[in-house]
Amino acid sequence: MADSLDTSALFQIEEPEAPRARRRAAGRAIGIDLGTTHSLVAVAPSGAAPRVLADAGGNVLVPSVVSYVGADTRVGVAARAEQVDHPQQVISSVKRFMGRSAQDIGFSHPYRIVSADGVIRFDVGGRRLTPIEVSAEILAVLRTRAEVELGGAVDGAVITVPAYFDDAQRQATKDAGRIAGLDVYRLLAEPTAAALAYGLDRGDTGLFAVYDLGGGTFDISVLRLREGVFQVLATGGDSALGGDDFDRALAAWLIERAGVTAPDHGQTAEALHVARAAKETLSSEDVVAVDLPRAGLAGFELTRAQLEAIVTPIARRTISPCRQALKDAGIAPEELDGVVLVGGSTRTPLVRRLVEQVFRREPLVDLDPDQVVAFGAAIQADILSGSPREGVTLLDVVPLSLGLETMGGIVEKIIARNSTIPIAARQVFTNYSEQQTAMTIHVVQGERELAADCKSLARFELRGIPRLPPSMARVEVVFQLDADALLTVTARELMTGAKQTVEVKPTYGLSAAEVDALVTESYDRAEEDFAARSSAEARVELGRVALAVRAALDDAGDDVSVLPAEEREQVVGALADADATLAAPSASGKATDAVRLRLETVSEPFARRRMERSLLSGMQGKRVEEVERAIDDEGDLDARRGGHGPELTGVGHDEG
Amino acid sequence: MNASAENNAPEALAAPLPLVVTARAAKVMRDQLVRRGTPDAAIRFGIRGGGCTGYSYMFQFEDGPPRASDTLLVTEAFAVRIYLDPKSLRLVRNTRIDFETGIRGHGFRFDNPNVSSACGCGESVSF
Repeated sequence: MADSLDTSALFQIEEPEAPRARRRAAGRAIGIDLGTTHSLVAVAPSGAAPRVLADAGGNVLVPSVVSYVGADTRVGVAARAEQVDHPQQVISSVKRFMGRSAQDIGFSHPYRIVSADGVIRFDVGGRRLTPIEVSAEILAVLRTRAEVELGGAVDGAVITVPAYFDDAQRQATKDAGRIAGLDVYRLLAEPTAAALAYGLDRGDTGLFAVYDLGGGTFDISVLRLREGVFQVLATGGDSALGGDDFDRALAAWLIERAGVTAPDHGQTAEALHVARAAKETLSSEDVVAVDLPRAGLAGFELTRAQLEAIVTPIARRTISPCRQALKDAGIAPEELDGVVLVGGSTRTPLVRRLVEQVFRREPLVDLDPDQVVAFGAAIQADILSGSPREGVTLLDVVPLSLGLETMGGIVEKIIARNSTIPIAARQVFTNYSEQQTAMTIHVVQGERELAADCKSLARFELRGIPRLPPSMARVEVVFQLDADALLTVTARELMTGAKQTVEVKPTYGLSAAEVDALVTESYDRAEEDFAARSSAEARVELGRVALAVRAALDDAGDDVSVLPAEEREQVVGALADADATLAAPSASGKATDAVRLRLETVSEPFARRRMERSLLSGMQGKRVEEVERAIDDEGDLDARRGGHGPELTGVGHDEG
Repeated sequence: MNASAENNAPEALAAPLPLVVTARAAKVMRDQLVRRGTPDAAIRFGIRGGGCTGYSYMFQFEDGPPRASDTLLVTEAFAVRIYLDPKSLRLVRNTRIDFETGIRGHGFRFDNPNVSSACGCGESVSF
């Protein structure tokens, strides 16, 4: 493999790694809270405070309902009005279907669903639509609203998703954005968005709980802030619990009060409508007058105490998921630095008291709980569009390369700087000697060639590597950097499956200037780094050859037919030179290579005799040419398997 | 055919010129830039860490302007702009870039005198 020039590959011009097809337009980005029951859009252009956008009628919330009745498609209030008469052609709560297959749909719904090739479609009479297409209709309405507000095209968007959404659900949400004509910069976890809206990222570290009680769903998340980036530690909740349950309970109680035992559809609808209004009024008043003309209830005085007695059993169902989430995150309520309330139902004073009781602190309530997630999305979108914003370190590219230390202290870069996140990269490493039964995985960050000059992030050992000849063991190392910039490094021995994982938090608190300085330093030091790397590589190579020669010497013993005495003397002499060079840390790459070449030259006849002997014993009766061809083929095969990768630093050599 | 340096290159070029780009290679680059719809874009050539023996080539379209530390070359034939970062420059100096067609397929071929060995895949190299 030394004559590289004749075997060199042919190359094609590639697209840049981080495909920034175009430059983003600062200040023209939007944040979208794509909710189960309603959705909204906010902007925070060029560092401004976020604000949500309303339609012509002043409505901020768009009901997440799409109607396919007739030829036109309607979204929002107009669509919801048609729901009662056309339950199968008006789709609501489409979020529950995103990224799901037919088997995943364990909840009841009124729709006709067709499933083919793992994709579900709503049959709305003549048309079959995927959940992605339905969501795209909602997103398109929000995009149009923002375009009116911004007076021109929207550059891109950040869309929020529940923290527990899996890859398929996230991808479906992204696809919906794309179909709606949006460049989705990034998806953002809803609790993270709420925390961003409160500026909780400005501290260095912190633990936060986000309590999100919407119309139909309840989510609790525990977040940890470290170096400007939020990590979701635990999530929990109830996908069938929300403020709508309060309304239903109150409506049923009012109907009972009216003395109606079997309410008709009209009476129920009326009671629900009145109950919702009464509940909202009682968030700020102590008593409200209630009229149910259809049920025959007039001037009934409903007190806040009565309402609370009715909804307490429902609200208390949020307590146990909260305690569980804290437990999963491994923290006590006292350790929290803040609790954020999200969702309109958290306006109910009873809910606030419950939250205070569970988390033993007053929750943050300054921002509108319906809008706080959209606020955070808008802030994030503004940052990603390139607006300068003070004190924000959230990044969507890797500022400095991430890699591993290999034999000789050389850095093998796995994820190159400026790669967009999330990203995963994998590389296969091999063993250095047969004695190597463990590998040290040393994760480093930086642009320099030697691990000693980079920042050390983590170090762990992979044990249980089978004894195999040098370069035969295969250890796969995977670097996975998720959207929250958390790095997971997994090392796996491919033969035995032995596996070891570590989670690291690369430094993201670096300013652009600091990153530039580090990169420039790597340029300035290119010359000396190069020399150090060459020298280190040469040492590894020399060590490998010396190891092989020494093993062959041991194997040959005193057999002068393989190794005549004077030749042995030369080999031993060259081996001593090799040891001396390996012991001298200052030896240059060239000098080390020279020592290795001499060792290879003097031991070459010996090696050839050994090989011939073993081949003859194994392949008697075959012509020499055939044997040689077999050896060549073997070599090619090895090359096609990817050759030998860099070796990782060996540890845990078994003595014996 | 040698590449020639542009006068307003961000970094003054010292002779000898760092790359040799054959006219055939320059023509294919030019054609591909035009076909991509970005006749004014450049091509970044260099070395990055990674690959099975340590380094691999980087050869990609580049839509932005050169970085302050980049060296900018313009090929004599077809005026293709090529950016080289200072770190890569050290490792690709005097590389000859040609375009090959034949039974191995079509592609650019890099003859890099700085390379000491390449792995079987030919895509990663060591120095």
